[in-house]
Amino acid sequence: MLVLTRKLHQSIVIGDGIEVVVLEVRGEQVRLGIKAPKNVAVHRKEIYEQIQQENKSASESRPEDIPDA
Amino acid sequence: MKLTGTRFGEIDFGPTDVLFFKEGIIGFPLLQEFILLSHKDDSPFRWLQSVQEPGIAFLCVIPQHFVPDYNPELTHAVVESLKIEEDTERFVLTTASIPKGEPTKMTLNLAAPILVNARGRIALQFVLEDEAYTVKHRVFPEAKVKEGVAA
Repeated sequence: MLVLTRKLHQSIVIGDGIEVVVLEVRGEQVRLGIKAPKNVAVHRKEIYEQIQQENKSASESRPEDIPDA
Repeated sequence: MKLTGTRFGEIDFGPTDVLFFKEGIIGFPLLQEFILLSHKDDSPFRWLQSVQEPGIAFLCVIPQHFVPDYNPELTHAVVESLKIEEDTERFVLTTASIPKGEPTKMTLNLAAPILVNARGRIALQFVLEDEAYTVKHRVFPEAKVKEGVAA
């Protein structure tokens, strides 16, 4: 993993169109601003992993368990 | 065309039956082509059956059947990506998860709906920024004490 040290309001650029700025540092919390093209989806990792897991569960659901609705 | 080896047996379909997910399903980026099957007539449940991997089908629902006021915000980026205009026929699905043998514990992923452009046959699963909706929305209230055990 590439490791870079940044100060408040400094940023990094990824590829051609993505920029990540450090907006605020407060104790253990860091606020980041992300500029990216519209076709690049940006997600909080833990949410993204939960959605992957839910999709997997949806694919493991069985027709015989579907409730009458 | 015929799709064999699915959990639902052989499926006959035509090119206009295929829904195209340019970005795949989250966690399954390579699965882009699906056929939407109804569970039963008049049922809110659907199966997103993969064309590329016949063994894979995702259980989905029309979410408003269970959550009538569900109203996910469609951002400009989502609308643009699916080429949706004012009069474009569209609908929303969410995935549904049912633990094996426990239908009352069904949950819906309201945080990552699937928007379908019905006319263009293109679709996208996207993540809501509104944190009011959870990935595990419980549909049926949790059972309290089993009958006969209480008192």
